[in-house]
Amino acid sequence: MLDGEPRVITAGAAVLAEALDQQAVPRLGVDWRPPLPGTSAALAKVLADPARQRANEVAVGRLLSARPQLVGVRPARDVLDLPERTFFHAGPPIDWERASGPMRGALIGAALFEGLAADAEEAERLLVSGSVKLDSCHHHRTVGPMAGVVSPSMWMFEVVDGEHGGTAYCSLNEGLGKVLRYGAYGPEVVERLRWMGEVLGPVLAGALAVSGPMDLRSLIAQALQMGDELHNRNRAATSLMVREIAPAIVEASPEHAAAVLRFINGNDHFFLNAGMAAGKVSADAARDVPGSSLVVAMARNGTDFGIQVSGLGDRWFTGPAGVPDGLYLGAYGPDDANPDIGDSTITETSGLGGFAMAAAPAIVRFVGGDVSDAIAATRSMYEITLAEHPAYQIPGLGFRGTPTGIDLALIARTGQLPVVNTGIAGRVAGTGQVGAGLVSPPAEAFTSALAALADT
Amino acid sequence: MTLGTRTRIQHRAPGDAKAFGAASTALRPALESPRRPARVLAVFPLGVYLEIRTDVEPSVVAVVTGEATRLPNAVVLSDPLPVTAPGDEAAVGDGCIEIGRLTVRVRRWWDPAPSLGPVELSRLEQVLPRLGVVCAASARRPGLADGGAGALLAEGCARGSLTAAITATEQLMGLGPGLTPSGDDMLAGVLVALRQIGRAAGVSRAVWLADWLAATVAFDARTRTTPISATLLHCAAQGQACADALAVLRGIAGHQPLEPAVHRLLRLGHTSGADLAWGLRTGVSAVVALGRSLRTAR
Amino acid sequence: MTSDLVEVRAGVYHDSVSLMRISQALSSRPGVTVAVVAMATELNLGLAREVGFEIPETGPSDLLVAIRADSDAALKDGAEELDRQFAALARGGGSGGAHAESPPRTTRAAARAWDASLALVSVPGEHAFAEAMDAIDAGLSVMIFSDNIPVEQEVLLKERASERGVLVMGPDCGTAVVGGAGLGFANVLRPGRVGVVAASGTGAQQVTCLLDHAGAGVSHVLGVGGRDLSAAVGGRSTLVALAALDADPATELIVLISKPPAPEVAEVVRRAVEGLATPVVTALLGPGQDDLTSAAEKALRALGLDVPEWPSWPVPQRAAPSAELSGLYSGGTLCTEARIIAGSGAFTDFGDDEYTRGRAHPMIDPTLRLEALGRASGVALLDVVLGHAAEPDPSARLAPAVREACERGTAVVVALVGTESDPQGMRRQADALVTAGASVFTSNAAAARHAASLIGSAL
Repeated sequence: MLDGEPRVITAGAAVLAEALDQQAVPRLGVDWRPPLPGTSAALAKVLADPARQRANEVAVGRLLSARPQLVGVRPARDVLDLPERTFFHAGPPIDWERASGPMRGALIGAALFEGLAADAEEAERLLVSGSVKLDSCHHHRTVGPMAGVVSPSMWMFEVVDGEHGGTAYCSLNEGLGKVLRYGAYGPEVVERLRWMGEVLGPVLAGALAVSGPMDLRSLIAQALQMGDELHNRNRAATSLMVREIAPAIVEASPEHAAAVLRFINGNDHFFLNAGMAAGKVSADAARDVPGSSLVVAMARNGTDFGIQVSGLGDRWFTGPAGVPDGLYLGAYGPDDANPDIGDSTITETSGLGGFAMAAAPAIVRFVGGDVSDAIAATRSMYEITLAEHPAYQIPGLGFRGTPTGIDLALIARTGQLPVVNTGIAGRVAGTGQVGAGLVSPPAEAFTSALAALADT
Repeated sequence: MTLGTRTRIQHRAPGDAKAFGAASTALRPALESPRRPARVLAVFPLGVYLEIRTDVEPSVVAVVTGEATRLPNAVVLSDPLPVTAPGDEAAVGDGCIEIGRLTVRVRRWWDPAPSLGPVELSRLEQVLPRLGVVCAASARRPGLADGGAGALLAEGCARGSLTAAITATEQLMGLGPGLTPSGDDMLAGVLVALRQIGRAAGVSRAVWLADWLAATVAFDARTRTTPISATLLHCAAQGQACADALAVLRGIAGHQPLEPAVHRLLRLGHTSGADLAWGLRTGVSAVVALGRSLRTAR
Repeated sequence: MTSDLVEVRAGVYHDSVSLMRISQALSSRPGVTVAVVAMATELNLGLAREVGFEIPETGPSDLLVAIRADSDAALKDGAEELDRQFAALARGGGSGGAHAESPPRTTRAAARAWDASLALVSVPGEHAFAEAMDAIDAGLSVMIFSDNIPVEQEVLLKERASERGVLVMGPDCGTAVVGGAGLGFANVLRPGRVGVVAASGTGAQQVTCLLDHAGAGVSHVLGVGGRDLSAAVGGRSTLVALAALDADPATELIVLISKPPAPEVAEVVRRAVEGLATPVVTALLGPGQDDLTSAAEKALRALGLDVPEWPSWPVPQRAAPSAELSGLYSGGTLCTEARIIAGSGAFTDFGDDEYTRGRAHPMIDPTLRLEALGRASGVALLDVVLGHAAEPDPSARLAPAVREACERGTAVVVALVGTESDPQGMRRQADALVTAGASVFTSNAAAARHAASLIGSAL
């Protein structure tokens, strides 16, 4: 303890730090600031909980050790226990009345796709009447990008955790442009969903039956080293996925192989949904550890941003969803943007996406910044995470593991909110994607969760 | 490296920039004396050596950065080194060091000869072969060939023969090329080990030997070797050494892992580290030999 | 005609000591009548509103600047000084050191990014627990300079530290020297053989400075916090510190300085001391017990060294027959010691919470004490504590006040705690104070006896 030259970390008064500098004592200063307003009492209680550290070690240990594997593609009706006239949606629970434009558009599209209504007006009346039941994807081991609407006839990626045995689901990605997840519900949207249900889903299912499970943990690890951050850039992951599954597709369904491969190749984000299910199954492994302040879900429904915490069961803690700050497509601008939407923040929850921005210099301009911003974003996330991912590494940071496992207490202490990379949906139902950028979650979601944890 | 011998005369306003640092207590007498003129002797990327115009040792002060080897005559600066050149004027005393326009004040004192606490002779017997293994495995070798004055010193110390040891000391001083000739570094290692390890192991014969060799060094060093080396020999005679050599001593005494410390010392300078390591080993061997003969005599 | 400048800087944070220094620097500009530079907490907003500033909507994570001057030109000058001060703060600064470009935001992050041996925590007390626990969890010993930490948190920290085999110094630990590095209000001491374990910061400073005067150096000074030897805390840090010094080869004598501990703790400590290989000199402070000077003398004798005449510069002084003694102290332990020795008089500890709310410690900001000296009559006894982080030149403001007091017929006696190597220079400070008319003693006990003799009440 008293051996050797002292090397001192200083947090607090500058005058004491300067005195050490004048003594030529090696020193690292903490850029300390007071915690988020109103969190002091809760922080003191949570930090003093002697069980907390162990609880967090257990929870984040599960998150890090999860081994997500893509095992199948199956209809939602079969695997989710999803009755007719029930739709799942992204984010914390919401009803039609509070739903935003793209959420409403996607629900209308799903009603049309399921044949519950002949046209949009009828679908809307049906939804207003409440005769279609809505529930949060997260309540059913499921995640969905943007509006995240899941109806019984949609086909889902099925991902299991080889380590802890959990299962999670995510719909198949429709591609870019006018798509359901951005709230579009025109005939081409519904038609594409039909083709996905009749051709894409069964073909992928057949191919996976031939090829066996796909190891998503190692695929994600490789994609990170090829310039993806797995939220806004999935080009490498999609390519790796195609390379792995293409022979099986050809073997299982020679008649549809060309169309299916062409569809996947036309969509750089095809892997996103599989990656989200991988994130979900990993985060779910960390749920329900008493006393743990680990965030196990971050999700938006276009109106609210909500989080769930390992030590707080299935309770949601919400705040208003913000409008992303980023670049817009074509003539669109901030006025056309809907507040933040989608379950894709499961990538950030599991140490990818905005947290791994330093791995994806190719897309920094797309979200409005330069490479140094990307590195700064990832570095700042180490401040609020409990661990560094042993498999997901960033070459540009000397193969340092991605910052993984968001800790409520660290967010309150640093005031540093999670960095979220996201697509931006049009405000008006049916518009589709209008841009992409970064969004800051509402602090109250985290501070109210911390208060609740202090009360347990 | 640049080395200068002439004094450049420059007339400047007294120091107007301030710096702070941590100084070896070996420099305390020089700093507490009235201000005396000095000159810049040598400039390295990580240090500036000043020579004080005085007959009293230590006459050379090393002003270094935190990354430099911490010599026993060093002031470690918290700020960047001043821009200066050999021959520039400087001053030491009245509590500060002036280099050109820069005034350095001491805000911390450190001990270049910290006590090791007691060490058992059996511990030394057990550690010596480990020291030998690391040194033998290293590509770093002392700057002087085996045998000669070095062998004479080793043998004289181990036997406790004052004549042989003093003769060898006189021969080694200033022997070899460079700023700190190999002979001086080897001798310094022996001096430090005899005093520090001798004291720690309670072998008074070794400390007695160190006193005699120290007297020889004090008498002769300034005429036999470079000013920097003479100051370092003077420090070694008091048991003071650079931080890397002290770490090896602490390793020998069991206060920190030995092998990594020896590796760090061996990497020092061109041959300085290997010379010092040879000296420490030789000194420890002598302490063991003298201690053993004492035990047998009893 | 006065002009006001009110400005809120959103999301800017600086520690309170730095901001008080800036406020002080602004207030001393010609024409500036009021300057408040502070975090926009309720307390600080209240202070600013009280003096009539119009404050916009703001919150505790913003920085408030409110300056009033008697002319526009003076206000402009004040604003320029403000910018200079902030620029200087950014250059030196609490953060920085290694990794200055993207500094860590928590002690936890710092400990992960850098190979440290120790953490020094001086954030506001209500937030110190988190930083200290980070250090302990990272296997680092920690000095907690912050005060106002609940005792339950102290116990938790020290329990965890025992598990991790590290030392918690504090909370409210004002002084430590580890491996020669002075932490907090420490003096520049010569390295040496004496290790100190102290439950009192200024107490440790007095003892180590006297040892330094006597030519005896210290190896380490480990503060344990004023509550460590209470029944609740159970001496946890004292035990760890004693063991650490016992294992340290440089330490040949341990000096343990504390108020008399809780009886059950005293027994535990006594047994621990008996088990050490290194001799221990215990100095228990209190009525009928040791004073700090006698503790230093005990240590010197244990080292086999001579006890010197402690440096002092008494000047001829007289006090009126019925004169009162006022003790105006910045160090709590020094204040208590002087009160006990003097036997009578009105003593004030300006380092107490009561006087430091909303302002810096009197070792940094002497304003309140100087005001009190301006009112003192009879005999005024005060301490001046030098060292790292203390006022850079205390006599600059104190000497004129001393002169004024002497001219009023007040006898001023100063206990000067410091070393010649201290940034302020002990002799330079003594000279200035003696020239101003004060009697100066390096021993607080001697100063108190001298002051008491002037009013004829010495014990």
